[in-house]
Order: sequence, then C-alpha cells, then structure tokens
Amino acid sequence: METKLASPWVKVIEGLKAWARINSPWVIHYNSGSCNGCDIEILATLTPRYDLERLGIKIQGSPRHADVLICTGPVTRQSRERLLRIYEQMPEPKFVVAVGSCGLSGGVFHGSYNIVGSIDEVLPVSAYVPGCPPRPEAIIHGVVALLESLKQPA
Amino acid sequence: MNNISLPPLVALLVFPGGLFLMALGLAYEYIDRKLVARFQNRLGPRWFQPLADLVKLLAKEEIIPDGVHRGLFIILPVIAVAGALTAALYTPLAGFMPAYSFPGDLVVTLYLLSVMTLSMGLAGANTADRFSLIGATRTLTQLFSYEAPFLLALLGPAIAAGSWQISTINLYAENNRWMIFTQPVGFIVAIIGLMGKLELPPFDAPEAETEIVAGALTEYSGRGYALFRLGKDIELVIGLTLVSAFYLGGLANPLEFLLKTLALLLVVAALQSLFARLRIDQTVGLWWRAGAILGLVQLAVIIAGSSWLRPLLFK
Repeated sequence: METKLASPWVKVIEGLKAWARINSPWVIHYNSGSCNGCDIEILATLTPRYDLERLGIKIQGSPRHADVLICTGPVTRQSRERLLRIYEQMPEPKFVVAVGSCGLSGGVFHGSYNIVGSIDEVLPVSAYVPGCPPRPEAIIHGVVALLESLKQPA
Repeated sequence: MNNISLPPLVALLVFPGGLFLMALGLAYEYIDRKLVARFQNRLGPRWFQPLADLVKLLAKEEIIPDGVHRGLFIILPVIAVAGALTAALYTPLAGFMPAYSFPGDLVVTLYLLSVMTLSMGLAGANTADRFSLIGATRTLTQLFSYEAPFLLALLGPAIAAGSWQISTINLYAENNRWMIFTQPVGFIVAIIGLMGKLELPPFDAPEAETEIVAGALTEYSGRGYALFRLGKDIELVIGLTLVSAFYLGGLANPLEFLLKTLALLLVVAALQSLFARLRIDQTVGLWWRAGAILGLVQLAVIIAGSSWLRPLLFK
C-alpha cells in the first residue's frame, strides 16, 4: 500500500473538522437500566447553574443529531437491543461516555441474572465517569476529557 | 440610501446573497442564543458556537434512512437555503439598495421565505418516521396559520406607501413617521408572525423536543440538518430586515441596519424567554382569531384613512 503525504489543504480541513467537533458536541442521553440516580445528576448538569451551552454541549432528542451518547446504568438484557439500535442510528463520528459505577462495571447489579454487564461489553466506550452517582462537575469533566482526547491526532 | 452596483455574480455569491448573509445569519443566531442565555441567567455560548455547529454537522456522516425518496431527501435542504438566499436579493440588506428590485417584489420575497417552511414540511413527510410526520403536519399547519396575518401585517406599510416594491416602501418609511407609531397593531402582528415563521419558542410546537424529538428534521443528520439550520438563520436576518425596514423607519445605512435589527432581535429574544410553548391548536387559534382579525382591522383603518379621511381633512 502506498502512503500518501497529507497536503497542506487536507491538514487545514482536518484541523477545522477537529476544531468543530471539539467545540460542538451534541449529546443524547440513554438509561440502559440504572436506578435513575445518574440520570437525575445528568439533568442537574444540564440546568442553567452548570450551563453546558458555554462549552457548546447541547442535549438532542434525536440520535441522528447527536455526537456523544451519554449512557448510564448496567446494560440489562432487555435494553441491550435498544442501546445498540440507538448507537447505530447515530452518524459517524460518534463517542460513548459511560456515567456511574454501574455503567463502568455493573456496580451493585454485577452478576445479576438480568444483566448483560457494563456498557463497554456492548459498545466501545471513550470516557468513563465513576461515582454513585457522579457529581455534575464529574460528568462535565468526563465529557471535557473526551473532547481533550480528540485533540490528539488519531 | 446608498446605492451600490455590483456584478451579478458578486451579488449572488458574496455580498447580499451568499457568504455575507451566511456569516450574518450565524452572527445573529449567536446573538439570539446569547441573549436567551443571559435572560435565563446563564453564561451562554461562545461567539463561534454557530460556526462550530455548522462545520461539525457538515463534516458528519449523512444517513439516508430507509423508506425515503432519496432525491427529495438530498435536494430539499438545498432548496430551503436557496429560497432563503434568493429572498435576500430583494431586501435592503445592511441598509443598501436591494440588489434586484421590481414592482411587486414584496410578494415574491414572502413566497421565497415560505419555501423553507414548505421544504421542511416535505422533508418531514418524506421520511417514514412518526415524529417527522407529526412535525411535518405541525409545520404545515403553522404555515397556514401565520402566513395570512404576517402578510396582512406587511401589507399595511405597503398600502401606506402605495407600492408593493420593498425599496419604495423602505424609502417611504425613511421619509415619514415610523410606522411602529402609526400602525402599532401591524407591528405586533408582524413580529409575532416572524417568530412563528422561524418556529421560535412560543411557537416551536413543530419541533417540540419534549414531545416529538426534533419534529420534521428528526431523521436529518449531517449536511441536511446543517443546511436547514443555516436556512433558518438566514431567514432570521431577512425577517428582521423586512420588519425593521417597514416599521422602524427604514434602513438607510449599515449602522442603522445594525441598530434597528439588533433592537428587534432583543425584543424577539425577550419574547422567546418570556413565554412557554403553545400547543399547535392554540397557535392556530391565536393567529386566526387574534392575528388575522387585528391585521384586517389595521388594514381597513389604513384604507379608510388614506382614501377617505385624508381628502376630507386636507382639502
């Protein structure tokens, strides 16, 4: 396979794309079986007090408009299909942030009969936010850490 | 009023028509979002936010869902933006004479502005998704309700000026008393009609994200969604230009254009944050029961005043 040297134009356009992606992450929120604690914290994160719009973060209803899937809770057997379907409906490039202890490992539900497991057993997760539930600051930090990681050339 | 003559290609691509208007649209979207954020006691977005949103959406994958007419799905966003950009050629943008002008261009401009709403409705009806379908129904219902009052409200100044040409009305507005004082009812109907046209908060039932996800544009991703958003920003600028040219004493120079449209944008942003969303039947009721009748009364008064009272008073 021949290797192509990136022309300056391609570099500029790629840089512009990366800049836009970092500065305008639209999120969609899905609860794949958590106790609702993390979801309440996510809603608190979206209130004017934390004002995510200053980072360009906007919650979207439609997976077609979203870049980041914020997912809470362990994946139950029932919600696995739905979670996968939502993920597949999102256009590329897309990222997943797992929020809460249950999302990371199954948490207190670990080993339960109706649980598939943590979110990264179903989807490729880019950032993990531990906590039960994590504070809004932690959730913002998680998303910002994901955005920082996008700055490095892949 | 300044008059500049531009080569047609420049008029279409750079100054009133293309890049300038897109940049202005993004800037006005930013100002609108920032104002709403400040009214809600938030910091609000950064100045480049609309641009970042646009570039990101353009760079994203565009998914064409199953069950749509592919050609329509691809072409509708382009038609929407093209309609909005064409409408700009007939408006006194930035206080300069319209790039093109002919008697009766007011009607053409209004129809060109409706092209975007129509293509949004078609885009929603084109997809098999239930949220898009409901959104499309609501978009078109709203189109039929605001269009008549908005037209009536813009007809008032047109009849007062005795012309259907936007540049003539603009000139008349500059040389006479501000029509917001002589026709206050028309101004209110016009600004509410404009908010309905842009589906801004009290009238955002067609894209109510708490009920129907994102309305007609639910299935659009990437390029299509970006173009629809851009079209809406352009319409915001053109709508503000039209209303301030007609009611706020005309637009004579770029400074006046900025001051008047931004003042109007402040009012629009304040109304957005003051009111909660109306149901679609309330929206229709408001416009047909209050808006259209007020517009008609205003029109009757103007016609009576100009054809009957004026000869009586100033013999």
